Amino acid sequence: MNEITFDSVKIGDQLPELAVDITAKLITAAAIASRDYQNVHHDQDAARSLGSPNIFMNILTSNGFVGRYVTDWTGPHGVLKRVSIRLGAPNYPGDCMRLKGEVIAKRESDRSLVLQITGRNKLGDHVVGDVIVAFSGSESCT
Amino acid sequence: MTQEELESRLQSYVGVREGPYLGWDQVNRAMIRHWCDAMGDGNPVYVDAALASEVYGTDNAVVAPATMLQAWTMVGYCGKHPPGSASIEVSDGLPIIDVFYEAGFNGVVATNCEQDYHQTIVEGDDIHHYSSIESVSGRKSTGLGEGYFMTQLFEYRNQREELVGEMRFRTLHYIPAAQAGQG
Repeated sequence: MNEITFDSVKIGDQLPELAVDITAKLITAAAIASRDYQNVHHDQDAARSLGSPNIFMNILTSNGFVGRYVTDWTGPHGVLKRVSIRLGAPNYPGDCMRLKGEVIAKRESDRSLVLQITGRNKLGDHVVGDVIVAFSGSESCT
Repeated sequence: MTQEELESRLQSYVGVREGPYLGWDQVNRAMIRHWCDAMGDGNPVYVDAALASEVYGTDNAVVAPATMLQAWTMVGYCGKHPPGSASIEVSDGLPIIDVFYEAGFNGVVATNCEQDYHQTIVEGDDIHHYSSIESVSGRKSTGLGEGYFMTQLFEYRNQREELVGEMRFRTLHYIPAAQAGQG
């Protein structure tokens, strides 16, 4: 696949889908890697006592996945400037989150792209986000 | 405590800027690797210092994932900020949380996170933050129970006091339906 550059991208371009298997192992590993020890992200009984059927993914992880999804697509020259997400349906173990994305604007001023990212699971939209990604200078030499 | 008293106590925290809250660790390759391992992030700029220097202009240092911004100053397992922080012994980082708990709003979920990245975070950086509560909503009925939405603004700064990133973080503090006594 050719490397993504600011000039090679058109408004309306779609990012390839990324399917993420949601497991208790992923939820807890990523919660701990993000230094988040809230019990609802590792303790099923605690999660139930707070009205949730199971442990669920923390927002830092959802944010991390949105960022990773975008830089997977741009390659290492993509530089994140903004990640803004809203959470909806929780990511519970046993589900699958499918991330999709679309280029919704190109900003000539700083040669950045505005993307809309959606991560859906079987309950609905887990995450909806807007991302701004720029490209480091070297890509203009290609 | 009546609803009115509770809401007036909650509002008394709005607009007060607190900090600094320090990070337990300098930005380092081990924590970056643990993050990337869990997130499945194979971007080479997080492990290849030569490439990171080319892309980000670092001095032969790897960079951290931008989305790790918040992680660097999290309290972690002990639930405390490191010595040197504005306050150390606080539950979940904020006195207002105690007010929510006292009033039975002990459920919490994060609903929104807006992060703007102004400067690349590089290994060796020392990150600290200041935070303020921007707003607390009126009482809402949600799928999880009755609750309040709180929006916090975080400024993240490095060892040179440069603003590296900002975050608006919204949480819902609710009375879990299971505890509300309904059938």
